[in-house]
Amino acid sequence: MVDFEPSKQDLEEVRAQLTEKLGHIARSVEYVPGAGILVEVPVKRIREAVKIIHNDLDAYLRTVAGVDERPVKGVFSAYYVFGLDSKHVNIIVVAYMDSDKPSIPSVVDIAPSADWYELEMYDLLGIRVEGRRLYRFILPEDWPEGLYPLRKDVAYNIRPEPSLRSREAISGPRIPVGPYHPALHEPEYFELYVEGERVVDVRYNGFHVHRGIEKLGESRFTYQQVPFLAERICGICGFVHSVCYTQAVENAARIDVPERALYIRSLVLEVERLHSHLLWIGVACHLLGYDAGFMHAWRIREKTMVLAELLTGSRKTYGINLVGGVRKDINRDKIGKVLDTVKWVEDEFKKLVEVITSVPQVVKRATGTGILPKHDARAYSVVGPVARASGLNRDVRRDYPYAAYKEVSFKVPVYSEGDNLARLLVRVDEVLESIEIIRQLLDQLPQGPIMAEELEIPEGRIGVSSVEAPRGEDIHFIITGKGRPYRWRVRAPTYQNIPALKVMLKDAPLADAPLTIASIDPCFSCTDRVVVVDARTRKRRIISLRKLSKINCIGCLI
Amino acid sequence: MENRRDNLLEALKAIRRSIWVFHLNTGSCNACDIEILDVLTPYFDVERFGIKPVASPRHADLVLMTGPVTRKTLPKVVNALRAVPRPRLVLAIGACAVGGGIWHDSYSVSGGVEGLKKVLEENGVEIDKLVYVPGCPARPEAIIYGVAVLLGIAKPKVKEEVVEVK
Repeated sequence: MVDFEPSKQDLEEVRAQLTEKLGHIARSVEYVPGAGILVEVPVKRIREAVKIIHNDLDAYLRTVAGVDERPVKGVFSAYYVFGLDSKHVNIIVVAYMDSDKPSIPSVVDIAPSADWYELEMYDLLGIRVEGRRLYRFILPEDWPEGLYPLRKDVAYNIRPEPSLRSREAISGPRIPVGPYHPALHEPEYFELYVEGERVVDVRYNGFHVHRGIEKLGESRFTYQQVPFLAERICGICGFVHSVCYTQAVENAARIDVPERALYIRSLVLEVERLHSHLLWIGVACHLLGYDAGFMHAWRIREKTMVLAELLTGSRKTYGINLVGGVRKDINRDKIGKVLDTVKWVEDEFKKLVEVITSVPQVVKRATGTGILPKHDARAYSVVGPVARASGLNRDVRRDYPYAAYKEVSFKVPVYSEGDNLARLLVRVDEVLESIEIIRQLLDQLPQGPIMAEELEIPEGRIGVSSVEAPRGEDIHFIITGKGRPYRWRVRAPTYQNIPALKVMLKDAPLADAPLTIASIDPCFSCTDRVVVVDARTRKRRIISLRKLSKINCIGCLI
Repeated sequence: MENRRDNLLEALKAIRRSIWVFHLNTGSCNACDIEILDVLTPYFDVERFGIKPVASPRHADLVLMTGPVTRKTLPKVVNALRAVPRPRLVLAIGACAVGGGIWHDSYSVSGGVEGLKKVLEENGVEIDKLVYVPGCPARPEAIIYGVAVLLGIAKPKVKEEVVEVK
C-alpha cells in the first residue's frame, strides 16, 4: 500500500485548471505518482506561475528545494512544492537554471513564506535570487565565499579552517554583558526590538544547529541508513522525520509497505506526540510561573517515555524505521501494557488540565496575548497547532493521509482566537485525541509481515511525503539516486512557523514575549536566547528567554 | 602537578553534596537535552542530591555539554567554557558530545569534545576533569551515574585502552 493517492476526479480537475491558467507559461504539466502534479516553467516566468498557484488557486507553499542537477541534466533547478489541501494534491513547479550563473527571480513578495527558502538556496547552493536582499543565513559568518556545500562537486567532509576573524572573536577582548552572560545558553536566538516595554520588531538569528544533514544523506549514507540519520534531526520528534523520509522514498519507488508496519508507525508517531505535547504543556506552565504544573506535566510524561521504550526499545531515537517497513513487531503482551499506561496517562492528564485551566495566572496571561490573525496565518502558510489555533483547519493526518491514519477516526481541534490560550487548548485536545487514536490502532492492528519483501529504488524519481509532527507539517522532498538519495530536502514545521512570530510579537508587551515565542513550540533547544534592543537608543541587552520570564530555575536547562 | 591534583580532589569533595550545573547545548538534536531535563523533574529528581541548574557558566561547578559543537557555535562554546571557574569540570553527554556522533565528519561540525579540545588548547582554556557519558541519547540513569563518576563516588564502566592504528 503506497502513501495516499488523490482521487482521479480531483486530479483531473486540478490538472484542467492548471492547463487553463498556466497553459501560456508552462512547458509541461504532468502527474507524477507519489509526488504530485509537476509543472515545468521557464525560470523567467516563475513569478507568474507562483502568483497564479499561490493566490488564484489558494495553494499553500509547502517547501522549496534547490537542486544541483548538473551531473545529470546539466542545470540547476528549483522545485516549489505547493499543497492544495481541499483536493489533497501537491503542485510542484520546477524551473531550470543556467549551470554557470544560476539565478531565479524572488517570489517573496507573493508568498512571504518563501523568504527562508530563497536565502537557503543562495547560501547552500549559490543560486542568486534576484530582486531581494540576500545575506549569509545558515552557514557561519567565517565560511569562505563561493563555497556552496550542497553543490555536488563539494565534498561532504570539507573543513575550511575557521578564519582569523573568528579566532579573534575567541581570543580578543570581549564585552562583558551584565549579569546576563552572553555565553551560549541555547543555540539560537531572537532579537527583539523594543520601545520601552513594547516590542516593535523581531529578528531571528538561527541555524546554530546546522549539521549538514542533507549533504550527509546525499553523500555518505545509503537508503537504509538515512532513516537513522533522519531520526537524529530532532530529538523530540525524530520519528516523524524518519517516517517522512521512508515514505518519500517509498512514494518515489512505489514500494508497497505491509499494513501492519503502517499501523506500528502510526502508533509510535502518536506516542511521540503524547510525549512532545506533555513536554510543551509543562514548559508553557513554567514560563507562566506555574512550576507545579510543569513538574506534574513532566511526571506524567515520564510514563510515555517508558511506553516508547516498551514499543521500540529506546526512550528516544527509536531506530525502528526502514524503507519498506519497520524493524520491531509488537505482541499481545505489549498491547495490554500500552493500554494500561495510556489509561493512566489519560486520567492523570485530565486532572492536570482541570487544575491548569483553573489557575488564574495561566488563563489570564495566555488569553489575548500573541495573537496571530487568520489572514496572516494564511500568508505565512503556518502549520500545525499554530495554524489550527488561528482558525485554519489543516491537519496532514486528515488532508494527506499516510501510514494508518485513514483507518482511524479523530477530530481535528480548531480554535479561532489565535492567541496563546488557543494554542494551549489545541494541544490539550490533541493529547486526548492521540490517546483515542492509539486505542483504535491497537484494536484494529492487522496481522502479517512488517517489512516489504521487494525493494527496488529506481534512479531519478521524485517523491514527496508529509507527516503531521507534534509541531505541524513536516515535509520531505526526494530525488532518488544511485544507492542513496540524489537530493533530500527536509522541511521541519518550525521552519514555517518562526517567520510568523513577527506578527505575534509586534506591539505586544515584552513580558509576553517568552510565552508567545514558546507557543509555536519551536523545537525547543532552538529558542532560548533573546536580544532586547531598544529601538530609540539602540542599546542592547542580552537576556536569556528564561531570565526574561523572570524565573531562574529548571527551565533554563531546556 | 601533584598540587593541582590535590586541589581538584579537594574541590570535588567540597561540591559533593551541592553541584551547580550549567547546560551547554552546542548544537545537539534535543534528545540529550530533554533527558537532562528529565533527571531534574519528579521521576528522577536529582535535586535531592544537591544538583541544581544555573543560568550562567560563571556560577557553574559542572558543565553538562551536549551536541557535536557545530561550526557556528564553536566560538561561543569556547567563550562559555572560559567563563567557568576552575576547576573546570565537564560532562560530555551523548554520542555527539563524546565524539561527534553520526555527523562526526560533516562540513558543519567540529566533532564533539575531541575536536573542541584542540581549539581550547590553542586558546588557553584548560579542562580539569572530563567524563564521557555515551548514548544516543544518553539515558537519565547514565547521566546521573556520570556525575557520580566525576565526583569519584562511582567507578567508570569502561577501562582506558589505547589502540594503535597502523
